[in-house]
Amino acid sequence: MLGLQTLVGNLTNIALLAAEGEGGGGVQFPPIENIVKWPALFGEDTFYAFNKIALISMIAMIVPALLFYFAGRKASLVPKKLQNIMEASIDFVEKQVIMPAIGPEGMRYLPMLVAMVFFIWIGNVFEVIPTSHMPANARMANPLMLAMTAWVMFIGVGVKHNGLGYFKSALFPPGVPKALYLLVTPIEFLSTFLIRPFSLAVRLFANMLAGHILLVTFSVLCITLWGFTPLVVVELLSFPMLVAFTGFEFMVAFLQAFIFALLTAVYIGGALHPEH
Amino acid sequence: MIGLLAALAAEVPEKVINPVVPDEIGEIFWGALAFFTLWALLRYVCLPPLLKVRAEREQQVLADQEAASAAETQGEQVRRDYEATLAEARSEANRIVEVARVASEAQRSQAVAVAEAAAAEERQAAMADLDAARAQALNQIKGDVASIAISAASKVVQADLDLAQNQSTIDDYVNQASGTR
Repeated sequence: MLGLQTLVGNLTNIALLAAEGEGGGGVQFPPIENIVKWPALFGEDTFYAFNKIALISMIAMIVPALLFYFAGRKASLVPKKLQNIMEASIDFVEKQVIMPAIGPEGMRYLPMLVAMVFFIWIGNVFEVIPTSHMPANARMANPLMLAMTAWVMFIGVGVKHNGLGYFKSALFPPGVPKALYLLVTPIEFLSTFLIRPFSLAVRLFANMLAGHILLVTFSVLCITLWGFTPLVVVELLSFPMLVAFTGFEFMVAFLQAFIFALLTAVYIGGALHPEH
Repeated sequence: MIGLLAALAAEVPEKVINPVVPDEIGEIFWGALAFFTLWALLRYVCLPPLLKVRAEREQQVLADQEAASAAETQGEQVRRDYEATLAEARSEANRIVEVARVASEAQRSQAVAVAEAAAAEERQAAMADLDAARAQALNQIKGDVASIAISAASKVVQADLDLAQNQSTIDDYVNQASGTR
């Protein structure tokens, strides 16, 4: 990973030097707001301002809904084609997310977790879709909203199943010497009720923003190095790197969706049985 | 004072975009709307048919497994019955073979006895014939031997010997000679 960062840094420096040598102005990386902020298509300065991120969010809602709808419309005992794929995705969430983190009683959360996986994944995958090249989760809005949903969900589940004793179990873990509660309880409070939603949101958002900036950087490098100069040979490195990072980000898009859903399931499982 | 405030206001930098802070409430609004709509659609519309058919498939698989298990048990019973029937048939076959063997042995013994009796009878008849032929040959030889012996003795003693007077001597000799054989 360190080698990769060094390589990226070296390539960036080469491109900067090359561009300075060519025109003297250096590489013109776009300002951060140009790669993450999008003007509203309508409703500017209102709570319903509809920009590119909102559009991607709507697509991330419509696409899985249609896929699952058409898969289930003529569902048969022997699944074929689309039904097979969508059932496999349900099985994946069940066997890789719910069962390890919650157990059989977690099946009631299947719709939420499937929605989470598909909403995040499709929102992420727009990072590598041509003409879009913007992951919805590289903005803080969706990760924050999803993290708050997970937060409300696991606290709600904890209270529903354990009453107010949930807070007692969460803040005062059984088996700990009473004197240590002075230390443990504040840590548990911070980690469980404050840091969890924050870490969930930041993990998703930061990964997608970093990937987005990485792809933008290599794209700018490729564009800058493209020309009739000897430094065009660097393109032989930078362009394959751009392609490789695009594939890598495609994988990250799914991985982050999976991690987010898995952590949400772990938190819900912990809330169901806080004594563990 | 006003001048100081004006100076401070003039020094306020331009608004810097902080990508970490969600500054577009519209994005949260549309994101939340999209996610909760998707959640509700999956919960009430899209997933139930798939989960239902999946549960039906699991039931079907369980039923098929039970049917297969029952068929296996039944097959095992049929195999046991077949093997029992086969064992019975083998036992019956062995019994029939034994009865046949005993019967054939009796028949063989009877046939052998009949054959032996016939052979003994024939042998006895043959012996009788042989004795008759021997007696006849002996009688004939007696006459011939007596004539030859009388002739030979007549030649030796150069006198005519009476056959009738010497007949008993010759017969004794012949009888003695035939008895020694």
